[in-house]
Amino acid sequence: MTDLVRVNSVAKEFVLHNQGGARLAVLDHVSFAVKAGECLVLHGPSGAGKSTLLRLLYGNYKCTQGEILVRHHDRFVDIASADPREVLEVRRLTLSYVSQFLRVIPRVSALDIVAAPLIARGVDFSTAQKRAQDMLARLNIPQRLWALAPATFSGGEQQRVNIARSFIAITPVMLLDEPTASLDAQNRDVVISLIDEARRAGSALVGIFHDETVRERAATRWIDIHSFTAAEAA
Amino acid sequence: MSGMDMLRDAAALAPSPVLECDAVTRMYGERIGCRNVGFRLWPGEVLGIVGESGSGKSTLLRCLAGLDAPTSGRVIFQDEDGAVDVHALPEPRRRALMRRALGIVHQNPRDGLRMDVSAGGNVGERLMDRGERHYGRIRDVAVDWLRRVEISPERMDDLPRHFSGGMQQRLQIARVLVSGPRLVFMDEPTGGLDVSVQAKLLDLLRNLVRDLDIAAVIVTHDLAVARLLTDRLMVMKDGHVVEQGLTDQVLDDPQHAYTQLLTSAVLV
Ligand SMILES: Nc1ncnc2c1ncn2[C@@H]1O[C@H](COP(=O)(O)OP(=O)(O)OP(=O)(O)O)[C@@H](O)[C@H]1O
Ligand SMILES: Nc1ncnc2c1ncn2[C@@H]1O[C@H](COP(=O)(O)OP(=O)(O)OP(=O)(O)O)[C@@H](O)[C@H]1O
Ligand SMILES: [Mg+2]
Ligand SMILES: [Mg+2]
Repeated sequence: MTDLVRVNSVAKEFVLHNQGGARLAVLDHVSFAVKAGECLVLHGPSGAGKSTLLRLLYGNYKCTQGEILVRHHDRFVDIASADPREVLEVRRLTLSYVSQFLRVIPRVSALDIVAAPLIARGVDFSTAQKRAQDMLARLNIPQRLWALAPATFSGGEQQRVNIARSFIAITPVMLLDEPTASLDAQNRDVVISLIDEARRAGSALVGIFHDETVRERAATRWIDIHSFTAAEAA
Repeated sequence: MSGMDMLRDAAALAPSPVLECDAVTRMYGERIGCRNVGFRLWPGEVLGIVGESGSGKSTLLRCLAGLDAPTSGRVIFQDEDGAVDVHALPEPRRRALMRRALGIVHQNPRDGLRMDVSAGGNVGERLMDRGERHYGRIRDVAVDWLRRVEISPERMDDLPRHFSGGMQQRLQIARVLVSGPRLVFMDEPTGGLDVSVQAKLLDLLRNLVRDLDIAAVIVTHDLAVARLLTDRLMVMKDGHVVEQGLTDQVLDDPQHAYTQLLTSAVLV
């Protein structure tokens, strides 16, 4: 199977200019690859840098050093050095990031939020709506909520809308930051099946899961993030 | 990683920027308006400019939009038949270019609307500027645009001075977009409106920019607005650009001391 992600010698250090220029070295010498059909789980204690690593992969954080190659169509794009419009293009078609938090857009209905990624990929409106309905139903969002903007939804409902939106258009590379946190068992199972389906469809997934059960059922491989943690700054 | 399968150029993306800002400086006597600003804007992209009051955002925007000439540097616009140096054009041609291809949404709707002309007239007038003479067609397009910005066509013959601030701003947006600009400049488009009215306007702008596939430059002091509307962000301080990049990266992992201060002050 082909590598969809290659991380080469990545380091991340935060410089806190307004706190006396304190330097926070979080990751160092991070290297690994992820193949199509794998779900790689990042393991390590709180504060070790798991979320930081996912955000680096997404281009949301800037690498201090190293390269992050993501296969986009038939070539590798270095997310660490690509210009913004190229990163956006890779995100539109290849790379997605799933957290437990929905960024609520004012006035947009749950149905439209879920359908949006399909529309952005050129799927026609009625097909996109139909698939969004199926996805919302699958995640047990009551039908009476579909036409409403999620601003007033409960935390768990918003989280499930976010998952529906994230999995409606599976991308070749998917980054998951605790998507199942605080979900009940039934919905957690739905998410695990969604992950498995993506994997079987040939996606490469990198995930963080605090829940032991989810981790064991979703993971095909583990990495201990601790092995990459930078030594304490002097 | 070998260079073989590693192509950094974005061959699949648009071949040339719609706007290129090359070392633009504008001085007000001894005082710096903006200094040595450079960037490229690509079709379909939305660039945000943030920074404290007096940092040069409006000065820069006015240079980009063709309103004020830079003291030095160039603003290159990719027109249908090739690149033009906006400020090197003779005045009438620059005016014509601005009318035809550029749109400007002012913070104060009064600066962008004709307050003594009906709402429909404000929109229709721009079509007449473009040579449309057929009254029925002008009226149809005006009605359509009023709908798109959620103003009831029944208000067509009312004067904008009788509209609320949010409606005036939406009318201004219709007036700007009706003539089909390829590039739109907005200076604090939601400033001075209450939060709920802002949300509605933002949602509208977001959809219009996406559906029409226009490029835009938006000045705002509101980082939440920048997050919602822009792809890329430029941070200005004392006339200089201190940081620029992907909007979410600049907001979530700011590199410059000033940007860190700006982002720590508010939850975005
Ligand atoms: N934008 C940022 N600016 C400064 N420091 C940051 C930033 N993001 C993360 N950090 C720091 O990096 C370190 C790693 O944080 P991260 O969120 O990656 O940990 P984690 O392994 O995901 O922990 P958890 O399991 O608790 O979610 C922490 O010390 C955190 O404070
Ligand atoms: N017409 C002018 N004559 C002289 N100085 C000017 C003029 N316009 C702006 N300036 C000065 O240029 C600097 C930049 O002003 P500018 O209006 O571009 O700031 P801004 O970032 O848009 O601020 P704000 O957020 O308050 O609108 C300021 O120091 C301002 O006083
Ligand atoms: Mg985390
Ligand atoms: Mg200003």
